Amino acid sequence: MEPGKRSATARGAIELVNVTKRFGETVAVRHINLKIPGGAYCCLLGPSGCGKTTILRMIAGHEDPSDGDVLIDDENVVGKPPVGRGTAMMFQSYALFPHLSCRDNVAFNLKVRGVPKEERQARALEMLARVRMKQFADRLPAQLSGGQQQRIALARSLITNPRVLLLDEPLSALDEFLRLQMRGELKRIQLEFGISFIHVTHTQMEAIALADMVVVMDQGHIEQAGSARDVFDRPRTAYVARFIGGQNVLSGPVAEIGGGAVTIDSGGKKVAISAPPTLPAVGSTFQVAVRRDRVRLRRAASDKPAPEVNTVHGRVSAMEYQGSWLKITLEDACGEEFVVNQADSVFFADPLDVGDAVTATWLPQEVHYLTRGAEKHAGMARAEAH
Amino acid sequence: MALVLLLFFGVPLLVVVAFSFFDYDGINTNPAFVWANYAELFGSKVTLSLYLKTLYFAAIVWVITLLVGFTVSYFLAFHVRSILWQMGLFLLCTVPFWTSNIIRMISWIPFLGRNGIFNQALMGAGITNEPLEFLLFSDFAVIIAYVHLFTLFMIVPIFNSMARIDRSLIEAARDGGSSGWRIIWDIVVPLSKTGIALGSIFVITLVMGDFFVVKVMSGSHSASVAMAMSNQIAMVQYPPAAASAVVLLIIVSLMVAAILRIVDVRRELAR
Amino acid sequence: MAGAAPAQKQLGKRPPSFYFLAAFFALFVAFLYGPMSAIYILSFQGPTGGLTFPMRGVSLHWFHALFAQERTGDFAGAFSRSILLAVIVLSVTVAMSVLAGMAFRRRFPGSSFVFYLAIASLIMPGILVGLGIGLTFQLFEIQTSWFTSALGAQLTWTLPFGLLIMFAVLSRFNRAFEEAGRDLGASHWQIFWMVVVPILLPGIIGVALFGFTLSYDEFPRTLLTAGAQNTLPMEIWGMTTNVTSPALYALGTVTTLVSFAAITLALGSIALIQRRRARRPAPVENAGPAALASSPSPSGRG
Repeated sequence: MEPGKRSATARGAIELVNVTKRFGETVAVRHINLKIPGGAYCCLLGPSGCGKTTILRMIAGHEDPSDGDVLIDDENVVGKPPVGRGTAMMFQSYALFPHLSCRDNVAFNLKVRGVPKEERQARALEMLARVRMKQFADRLPAQLSGGQQQRIALARSLITNPRVLLLDEPLSALDEFLRLQMRGELKRIQLEFGISFIHVTHTQMEAIALADMVVVMDQGHIEQAGSARDVFDRPRTAYVARFIGGQNVLSGPVAEIGGGAVTIDSGGKKVAISAPPTLPAVGSTFQVAVRRDRVRLRRAASDKPAPEVNTVHGRVSAMEYQGSWLKITLEDACGEEFVVNQADSVFFADPLDVGDAVTATWLPQEVHYLTRGAEKHAGMARAEAH
Repeated sequence: MALVLLLFFGVPLLVVVAFSFFDYDGINTNPAFVWANYAELFGSKVTLSLYLKTLYFAAIVWVITLLVGFTVSYFLAFHVRSILWQMGLFLLCTVPFWTSNIIRMISWIPFLGRNGIFNQALMGAGITNEPLEFLLFSDFAVIIAYVHLFTLFMIVPIFNSMARIDRSLIEAARDGGSSGWRIIWDIVVPLSKTGIALGSIFVITLVMGDFFVVKVMSGSHSASVAMAMSNQIAMVQYPPAAASAVVLLIIVSLMVAAILRIVDVRRELAR
Repeated sequence: MAGAAPAQKQLGKRPPSFYFLAAFFALFVAFLYGPMSAIYILSFQGPTGGLTFPMRGVSLHWFHALFAQERTGDFAGAFSRSILLAVIVLSVTVAMSVLAGMAFRRRFPGSSFVFYLAIASLIMPGILVGLGIGLTFQLFEIQTSWFTSALGAQLTWTLPFGLLIMFAVLSRFNRAFEEAGRDLGASHWQIFWMVVVPILLPGIIGVALFGFTLSYDEFPRTLLTAGAQNTLPMEIWGMTTNVTSPALYALGTVTTLVSFAAITLALGSIALIQRRRARRPAPVENAGPAALASSPSPSGRG
């Protein structure tokens, strides 16, 4: 997503330099290098245990790296407490103090700093107004709904005037409707305050909806960091392609090369794919991604002959209706699942059935070449990506 | 802060342990290290009968409190539907615990005595013609008093354990066709093990260490180990009392250790 | 209560075992409360009252007799000593249990030892503890008295309880609260006083209740360590050995009232706190599509 209107004084540029974190024997994250521009909405995306929360907490100041540096606005903040480094965190459970009213919750930081009662109550009220919760000032957190509690938690964090706000799976506890609504709220507030938001999630769609920058992680390292569109449309590795979804990954050792096509052996099936400029070696692993909605389906028994390259043949094994499109899964097409997202108008013009033999083709320009990522497998040549 | 706790604990406790090894000798308390007291203790037939009597009480009381406690807890945990009622009834059972033990104990006297309520009720209803003598100042009275005082110690841990049992386990069993009794045996009892163990430990140590219930309720007909010890103390016979104390401590510890072998309690407590 | 309306989400028919168990329970409660009530009733007898039923007259005579220091011993003195001691014990117990409970959240060297020490202290028969302390004091030639040796003795009984309660309470305590406090710039002490203690307050009150009542009613440990002046349970014990008048029953009633007062105070405050913080149905709730349509109401002053 293009950066929206952002205040000129964008604060909260973050840089992680060669950061490693160990917990006893286990290494949570390893040699992380990452640059996040100020005023950006950044999502850390990955499955449980990938290290995203660890990174979040290291930026927040609730953990310190075992090795490496954390810089905020070019200042090394390792060892500094959260308030000292200008960060604030919103916890997954919100952690609103149950014994304090909303106003007192928001005013907490001010009270800790010794701000006199009248002033801090007034400022708290002001902040509550900014998140549109002013009328709940005297309620206790237990009397609020999840979405409302989240706004209070936001207000409480923002009153400390941070340059970076860290959110630990903020939307996980909400139901679907609320989630969508709060998503908009979060983005609005981020733009209004003009600070960096770092948002940890395991939901792909959420990440690409919100973020200026998406960081996809797996097992303690970064697979890809880029704009949401980059990550979706041009995934760097097979992992990212599979995790984000929306892509078919074709992968296998190269069987032969010729005629402008690379043929791989994918689970016993030969699949010919248009070749990249730099040809891979025979026998090396070759991986590409093709967007599921850019694949055309045809019945196998149709009169037009199927092209030789950029085609797979299979049988419909499942169909799922998704409103404006259908998710059609093919079996026996290649080594792994092959899915076609077909527009409903196209589908209902000639509906398929489970068991129908079909041909799936795509254009050469839809082929996206993948790299092998950060795996340390000895003896595997890296297929060059473009 | 933990150090302070340690000191405050350590001092009284370690002192107890420590001193009891300086067993003094004879009538004049001379600091010495003698086994004479122990020899006397073990040699006397009285000791054995005292222990047997006390163990007898402990066993009976344990069984009764276990059955009663289990039943009451089961009722509270599984049959009472609303949490509010559960808490309320639980409190109802607990409140007597907060009042004086001695008062509760002696409150049985007017109840069970010859002219007491119970006898009067029986005679009034025509069931008996004469007051039942065995009700008071007897082993029966002692046991009743123990049960009255200590059942609560069974109820609290057992109820606690039961409340933590996942209800869906029971539903699954019922789905699979288990009858009520089987459910209790196969599911509830094993999962309440910790509570039962804790309750048992409390009850047994309390009975073993008691000296005043026995004295009053049995009208001095029966005796217990602790009671004998308290008599010795009253007569300033500290050394034999000390020896007695150590032996009692060892025996009680063994019993507790035995129970702990069967059930690991620390996990439960520290959870 | 037949389950005639299957559409009801509520209870269906109760199994027969319910009635049996309910009856058993009722019997049990009667068993618990019955004898005590006999005493309370008997304490209200007139001057000619005896030790058992039937009741002879109704008056507060025996209560007066109690406070007159004639043949009933030093009741007033023992009473005040007991209360004072109980308050001291409660304070010490609360302070130590809270601090120790907090310390136990991490494994510190010797934590197992302290833990087992606490458990051992709990199950050791009271008379042994009393004997031990009494003899130690004699060994070091210090006089035993109610505010030193008896205090220590009672603490060996109350501290384990306090510790166990704190364990239970702290295990349910969400650490995120402390982290949030830290995130918002509070120092360790500020977090402790402004966040942890208020949230744990019901549990702390529970510890206080235990501390008070366990001390107030404590007998075996205190017996041998109280020194020259008696506490209330010791007075009662003295009276039981030569029970001559319903004054004893009056004493029983009075002391029970004190206990009840303490319980009510503690439980009442806990209930109050819980009610304040309890979930209540959120009033102006935005849920569902209606909410999406209407952004936060323009009428909200914001």
